Amino acid sequence: MLGEREQDAIRSVLAGLEGDVDVKLELGPTATPVTLLAAGGREIDSNALTQEIVEAVCALSDRVSLSVVEHEEPGPWPRTTIGAGLEYLGMPAGYELTTLVHGILEAGRDAPALSAASLERLAAIDEDVAIDVYVTPT
Amino acid sequence: MLLAYKLALASPRVTARGIEASEFAVEADRHGVHAVPAIVVDDRYAWAGAVPEAVFVERVLAAAAG
Repeated sequence: MLGEREQDAIRSVLAGLEGDVDVKLELGPTATPVTLLAAGGREIDSNALTQEIVEAVCALSDRVSLSVVEHEEPGPWPRTTIGAGLEYLGMPAGYELTTLVHGILEAGRDAPALSAASLERLAAIDEDVAIDVYVTPT
Repeated sequence: MLLAYKLALASPRVTARGIEASEFAVEADRHGVHAVPAIVVDDRYAWAGAVPEAVFVERVLAAAAG
């Protein structure tokens, strides 16, 4: 799944983990299915590919523990949850592999990697805020 | 995407989700997403494009308040 150079790069990033990180991967039928095609027209199995990627990444650090849950009911699968609640819906492939790896790194930090000004602004939040970021893997 | 994760780690009030737009095209359409990265705050489209940390924080807070 991952080449030697990618593995070395990811291993190097995850070596910076300051704490242990739990990763949970949830698989199952997608509630709003779409057909994804790879180059050449081959259909992509999102669940299977996501499992390959996430397992390969998590295996590169002793500080990262992975659990896999398979759902029978349709839902927003595949869903990867990093640490206490950083979520990623879909395949963390291509550029989004970086999101997965650095998301794990951020979750394993002792303190948030934000400026003092940002932390001060965030400390003033008194209502829940939900941020969704739509991305593509390339 | 990482900035959203950093905000969620910094505040118990903030949750952050990355969503692969082509796999979740129905949800992306529902939010009016035409370019990525697209940021949706509290289920409402906020903006598209990468911005510096300070701008990201201010835009999220403004979108949440609006």
